[in-house]
Amino acid sequence: MRMSTRKRIPTRTPMRSAPAARARITRTVACGGAALMLGTSLTACGGGGSGSGGGSQEFHVLVYGDAGNKVEKKIVAEFNKTSKVKAVLDTIPGADYQQKLQTIINTPQAPDVFYNWGGGSIRPYVKAGLLMPLDDVFPNDPKIGDHFLPSVYNTAKIDGKAYGIPMRGTQPVLLFSNKKVLADAGVTAPKTWDDLLTDVKKLKAKGVTPIALGGGDKWTTMMWFEYLYDRVAGPGLFEKAVSGDKSVWASADSKKALSMFRQLVDAGAFGSNYDSVKWTGGGSAQLLASGKAGFELMGSWEYSTQKENSPDFAAHGLGYTTFPSVAGGKGNTADLVGNTNNFYSVMKKTKQRAAIAKFLKLMYSDDFVKAQLSIGNLPTTTNTDKFLDSTGDPAYAKYQLNLVSKAPSFQVSWDQAYPPSQMTAIYQAVQEFTDGKIDAGAFIKDMQALDAS
Amino acid sequence: MTPAQPDMTAPGPGATSAATGADSGSGSGSGSGGTRRRALRGDRSRGGAGRGAGGPARRSAAARGTARPGIGWALPAVVFFGLFALVPLVMVAVLSFTSWSGLGSPSFAGLTNWTKLFHDPVMIQSLWLSVLLTGLGVVVQTPLSILIGVWAAGPQRGRAVLAAVFFVPLLLSVTAVSVLWRALLDPNFGVPAQARWLFGDGDLFGSRTGAIGVLVLVSAWQYTPLHSLIYQGATRAIPKVLYQAAAVDGAGRVRQFFHITLPQLRNAIVTSVILMVVGGLTTFDSVLILTQGGPGTDTTITAFYMYEKAFKSFDYGAGAAIALLLVVVATAISLVVVRLSGYDRMAGTQEGLS
Repeated sequence: MRMSTRKRIPTRTPMRSAPAARARITRTVACGGAALMLGTSLTACGGGGSGSGGGSQEFHVLVYGDAGNKVEKKIVAEFNKTSKVKAVLDTIPGADYQQKLQTIINTPQAPDVFYNWGGGSIRPYVKAGLLMPLDDVFPNDPKIGDHFLPSVYNTAKIDGKAYGIPMRGTQPVLLFSNKKVLADAGVTAPKTWDDLLTDVKKLKAKGVTPIALGGGDKWTTMMWFEYLYDRVAGPGLFEKAVSGDKSVWASADSKKALSMFRQLVDAGAFGSNYDSVKWTGGGSAQLLASGKAGFELMGSWEYSTQKENSPDFAAHGLGYTTFPSVAGGKGNTADLVGNTNNFYSVMKKTKQRAAIAKFLKLMYSDDFVKAQLSIGNLPTTTNTDKFLDSTGDPAYAKYQLNLVSKAPSFQVSWDQAYPPSQMTAIYQAVQEFTDGKIDAGAFIKDMQALDAS
Repeated sequence: MTPAQPDMTAPGPGATSAATGADSGSGSGSGSGGTRRRALRGDRSRGGAGRGAGGPARRSAAARGTARPGIGWALPAVVFFGLFALVPLVMVAVLSFTSWSGLGSPSFAGLTNWTKLFHDPVMIQSLWLSVLLTGLGVVVQTPLSILIGVWAAGPQRGRAVLAAVFFVPLLLSVTAVSVLWRALLDPNFGVPAQARWLFGDGDLFGSRTGAIGVLVLVSAWQYTPLHSLIYQGATRAIPKVLYQAAAVDGAGRVRQFFHITLPQLRNAIVTSVILMVVGGLTTFDSVLILTQGGPGTDTTITAFYMYEKAFKSFDYGAGAAIALLLVVVATAISLVVVRLSGYDRMAGTQEGLS
C-alpha cells in the first residue's frame, strides 16, 4: 500500500493532505512495534542493571501524572530533606500510564517504586516475579498494614501477600440522586432493590429518565453489574472468578444478578438512548443536575464534578446513598465497590530497599493525610478521621470514610481486578448484554473467556 | 483567485462572454493565444509519448539534454524510508509470528496469531466494516466535493469567500472535530434534543446504523473540503476553449457539466478516490473518539481493532498480524482502483484538443 500510494498520489496537494496523514497510522504503529522490539532487545543486552543506576544513591518513583502530583512532589521533597538516598519522582501524564508501564517495567528503565491500582493491575507483574512483597520490604515491621483501612489494604494482596501501600484517596461508588426530582415524584432513596424498581416506575410516570447512565463509557454500566453481583452472590463469587474459577459465572447467583439487571433495563430505568450518553464530557452528570434524571450510580468523584459544574445543585440538590440491598441476597448492604485507592508497589530488583521502606512509611504520616485532604482526596489511613473537620465538606468526607472503614468487602472495579488486557472484553460483554444484543448465556461465556492470570 | 479569470463551469451568457474571457487573456493562461500555445505543446508531448513514430529520437534527445540525477541525491530519502517504513514493516511481520505482552521477550508462536485471526468473527467483520465505511465515504463525498469544487472554481468574489469558509474544517485536527461532534450529537443536550422529529430519541451511538451514519457524516464534514480543493484546481485547468465550442454548439449549462467538466475531471476523480480509499481504510482517530468501536463491536474497523489488540489487550503479536493484514488488503484495494481507473497510465484528457 505504501509503495503504491507513494508513487502514484501527487504528494504536492495544495494543503497538508489529511487522509495521507491518516494513512500513516499503519506506519506509526509499525514504528511503535519496532521501538518496542528494540526496547526488549535492549533489555536482553542490558544485563538487568537497576533503574536507579547501580551505585548512585537514589531510587525512582513512577506516578500517574495529574493534579494529584502536588502531594507526591511535596512528600518526595520532604523525604529528600533528611534522607541520604534521594527519591526521584517521574510522572507519566494521562491515560497512557498503564501502557507505558507495561513496556518499561521489565527493562533497565524500570522504576524502583510505581503507582498502580492494586488487584489485576499488578497481578501479571507478581506472576512474572517482578514485585517485592511488603513482608520483604518491611522485614522488621510485619504490622505495617495496620496503619491502613483493611478493606482498602486487602485489595492490593495477590495470593494472600500484600504488594501495595495505599498512597492517594479512596473512591467508592455511591448512588447519587437529585433530591428535588425525587421529591416531586414522591420517591425516597431506595433501601431495597424492590424500592428501586418502584422508584423507577414513579419517576418514569413523571416523564424523567429514572436513572442517568453514561453508557457510552461502558465502565459506568459495569458498576451496576459489580454491585448487583455483590448483593446477590456476595463478594466471594467475583473473588473466585478473578482467581481463576470460571465455573462461578454459570452459577445460579450469577444468572439471578443478570436477570435482575435485565429487568431494570427493560423497565426503562435508563431511558433508551443511554448508549449515546457519556459521563466523560459531562453528559450524564448534567442529566442529573438539570433534573432530567432522578438517580445516577457513580464514583465518589461525582460530588466534586457536580460542585465544579453545578455548584448550586451540589450544595442543595445532590443526594447520595449506598446501593440498595437485595432480598435473599448473600451480599452485605455495607459492601462497597469502586476504586479502593492507588498503591505504591516495590520492584524486586531494587537496590534501595531500606530507603524505600522509610519513604513508604510517610504514606500514613499526619502531613501526608493533611496534604491529600487539602486537594480533595480521602486517604485510607487509620489516622485520617482525626483531620476530617478541616476539609471543605466534612460531612461528605466522614460519610465516605465511615462506609469504607466499616465495609466488610470493598471490591475493586472489575476492569481493575482483572489484568488490563481483559478490559476491552469486559466492556464489550457489559454493553452488549445491556443492549440486549447477547443473552445471559453469551454473557457468561464471554466472562468465562477472560484470562485472569 | 483573480476576478479576471473566466468562469469554467458555465461560461454564463453564452459565446459573447466567452469571447471576452478569451480576449482578456487572464493569468491562468486560458486566453486564446495561451490556449493555442499550450495545445500545441500538448500535441507535441502526446506525439512523443503516445504514437512513438518519431518518439525514440526525441526521447533520447531529452535524455541527453537533462541527465537524471545520480542515486546519491535519493539517498537521504531512501535511508529515511528504509529506517522508518521498511524496517518497522519487517519487524511487524516478525512480531506477528510471536506472542508478546510487552513483558519479557517475544516468544515464537508460529502461525497461532494468524489462525486465530482468520477464525475471529470480529476480525472478519472489521474488514467488511472498513470497506463499508470507505465505500460510503467515497459515495457521499465524491458527488458533494465535485459539485462544491466546480462551483468554487468560479471567479466571483462571493464564491471565494464562501469557499474559504468552507475549507476551515480541513484545518482542524480530527480529534478536535470528533470531540466537537460527540458533544453536538449528545441526545439530551445536543442537536438531537432539538430535532426529535428527525432523530427520535437521539440514540445515534446506540445502533449500528446510527454509529456508522455519524462516522460517515463526520468524515464527510472534515474531508469534503480537501477533495473540493482538488476538484476546484482541476476545474480551473480545463481549457476555456472547450466551453466556447460547446456553447457554439448550443450546449446548456447542464450538458456542459456532464460532457465537458466531468470527463475533464477524470484524473482528479481518480486521485481523490484513491486518497479517500487509503484514508478510509486506515481511519482510526474518529472511531476512537466518537464510538470506541461500539456499540459492542459494531464499528470496530480493522485499524481500531489492531489498536485494541496491541495497546489495550497487550497482545502485540495479534496486533501486528492485524496491521499486516490491513497493509495487504489496503494495497490490494488501491491496486485494483489504480488498475480499473487507468490511473497508472495517466492518459491525458485533452486528446485531440488543438
